[in-house]
Amino acid sequence: MAILNHLTTTCWKSFQSDRLNKQLLYALRALHKSAASEALGISTTGEEPIPDRLIAPADVGEKTRVKNLKDMPGPSTLSNLVEFFWRDGFSRIHEIQMEHRKKYGKIFKSRFGPQLVVSVADRELVAQVLRAEGVAPQRANMESWKEYRDLRGRSTGLISAEGEDWLKMRSVLRQLIMRPRDVAFFSDDVNKVVDDLIRRVSCLRTEQSDGATVLNVNDLFFKYAMEAVAAILYERRLGCLENDIPQETQDYITALNLMFSSFKTTMYAGAIPKWLRPILPKPWEEFCHSWDGLFKFSLIHVDKRFAEIKGQLQRGEEVKAGLLTHMLITKEMNLEEIYANLTEMLLAGVDTTSFTLSWASYLLARHPHVQQQIYTEVTRTLGPGTVATADDVPRLPLIRGLVKETLRLFPVLPGNGRITQDDLVVGEYFIPKGTQLALCHYSTSLDEENFADSLDFRPSRWIRKDTTDRVDNFGSIPFGYGVRSCIGRRIAELELHLALTRLIQKFHISMSPLTADVKAKTHGLLCPAAPIHLQFTDREN
Amino acid sequence: MSLVTALGRLAHVRLRGYSRRTAAASWGAFLTARRSLTAGTQPLRSDNKVTVHFINRDGEKITVKGAPGESLLDIVISEDLDFDGFGACEGTLACSTCHLIFDEEVYKKLGPVTDEEMDMLDLAYGLTDTSRLGCQICLTKSLEGMVARVPESVADIRQSKDGSS
Ligand code: HEM
Ligand code: FES
Repeated sequence: MAILNHLTTTCWKSFQSDRLNKQLLYALRALHKSAASEALGISTTGEEPIPDRLIAPADVGEKTRVKNLKDMPGPSTLSNLVEFFWRDGFSRIHEIQMEHRKKYGKIFKSRFGPQLVVSVADRELVAQVLRAEGVAPQRANMESWKEYRDLRGRSTGLISAEGEDWLKMRSVLRQLIMRPRDVAFFSDDVNKVVDDLIRRVSCLRTEQSDGATVLNVNDLFFKYAMEAVAAILYERRLGCLENDIPQETQDYITALNLMFSSFKTTMYAGAIPKWLRPILPKPWEEFCHSWDGLFKFSLIHVDKRFAEIKGQLQRGEEVKAGLLTHMLITKEMNLEEIYANLTEMLLAGVDTTSFTLSWASYLLARHPHVQQQIYTEVTRTLGPGTVATADDVPRLPLIRGLVKETLRLFPVLPGNGRITQDDLVVGEYFIPKGTQLALCHYSTSLDEENFADSLDFRPSRWIRKDTTDRVDNFGSIPFGYGVRSCIGRRIAELELHLALTRLIQKFHISMSPLTADVKAKTHGLLCPAAPIHLQFTDREN
Repeated sequence: MSLVTALGRLAHVRLRGYSRRTAAASWGAFLTARRSLTAGTQPLRSDNKVTVHFINRDGEKITVKGAPGESLLDIVISEDLDFDGFGACEGTLACSTCHLIFDEEVYKKLGPVTDEEMDMLDLAYGLTDTSRLGCQICLTKSLEGMVARVPESVADIRQSKDGSS
């Protein structure tokens, strides 16, 4: 509270006139409010009976009796343990979500050792939870991330920060990269990366005997996503799509792979109590090691850009100001915060986009009719050979539909988390403050009640008849919703729209005989369980 | 452009250390400047303020004035109107808490709606046929005297701790 007061007054004093700061102040005041009300309350944890005074009948609905967590259905602790640790449930989290939804209903509880998780697998309930959020929602326990940063004297970034630290950085970053109109500014930069992507496709397929196949397209899209996001965030081309990838980029890719290959261990690294580390040092060491690699990459590129700007200024040259330059100059965040946020954004922004591109092209190959339909729309709207920019996307509703439909069928984050910051009543159950919720996006987006013929791939289901036509889509919110939703959403959409439009313009995408049905598996993110090989044949234009 | 001044200053200022912001152009302002240089459009500027009536959740009418070009969210913030939870994402199209409801005639005059706004509107609570997001509506003279109703808030699933509500 004292810190909050301090921060609020500091903000007030130094930035009274700045509009942005007025907004930050507005948000901080709200945070302050909720902190104050928290200080008055007594928090309840675990499965204690509900204190009577907490139940406000007006809020709950007239005749419903509020049940407590004890009454909530869910798999037994033992069966859950077997499912996850013995039968490798972690890679099937999305399927287990569906099974449990069928078996236990819209809301159920599971235990992972000491951790109780309440899963919310219903569109309406997810909406309720997200709409009730405060000013600085918390996703999950980020202790281990925070600990690494403290150990190395680094800052937290948007993913790992909480409370006012988070809000302060989020307020800065959302003003930079969340407005679609502002992100459209990067259209040309992204299109240059798309040029390289197309060239790379043409080059890779010549390596195969049929002259058409690109093996494991995700490898290609990973490089595209990394190149594109770095072009925006670091104002720098990394050379991922070249034949010879520069060493420092290669090092980063290695660190990223280590990060993901050790994903399970890193999850445990958070869960393993500290006192066990002397006996079980490896997970924590790997965790630190991969973070070292990720941070190092950002440090190199940020410092490089900083030196460049300085040099250019000293020589009296013009400085082209992109995102990083802007951040370095305005200093709305300090240098450590810039390092940390670029690191975390790069981590969050590469696999997500590349898996989505892989699934989208796989789905296009599996559904040639749909591909043809989209091709027709694109050529009719743009004319042959025209390169689309962000301004053209509103005229390409099927391209937008393609991205939405891909993310509905394969939501990269099959589930998301929230730690409740108030006592809530969700679906008749009293959920004490501090409970870990799992929002089951995978099961809601495949729910027949939310999307008719939910297993069908139909980008056209997202097309509106007119501007008052509403598509109730809380069932599919692949980027989340609200103040803590994906900050990279508009960047990701731009990268996806521009890449897919061009791929569809240039190539006929079809299945390679080497690839059959590809299932999804969860590896932190929802990814293809097997490599996807596709054929890219030139369209005549 | 103030960006140039800021860049000039950079040569002397070291970036290390926890020095909070200097007065530099915001990214949005920078982009607007850039856009208007190429497109030749000027941000709307006028001394003639536009009157807006908000109707809050208790049905009370609050009358304020705003400059053309300002968004309805800007006005809520600058006039310090206390609509609980309103404008949570600060006008960045991530939340739909700035949802407002208009009369049919006003609704028609509000200007085009983008795909992104429609997507966020889909997620708004208590959506109507004449709903829009306040952060996307910019004032124009023709909106003089408009009424904007703040919809009912979400049925609150939060449990009050002092039992008073
Ligand atoms: C298809 C691509 C992507 C998908 C599906 C996706 C999805 C998500 C989701 C579901 C969340 C959690 C939101 C919540 O908790 O409500 C998230 C958070 C985040 N994403 Fe993305 N994302 C994508 C691309 C990106 C990109 C390109 C970037 C970076 C430029 C990025 C940066 C982040 C960050 C920093 C967060 C944490 C935000 C915070 O806690 O404030 N994401 N993303
Ligand atoms: S303020 Fe969040 S969408 Fe308007």
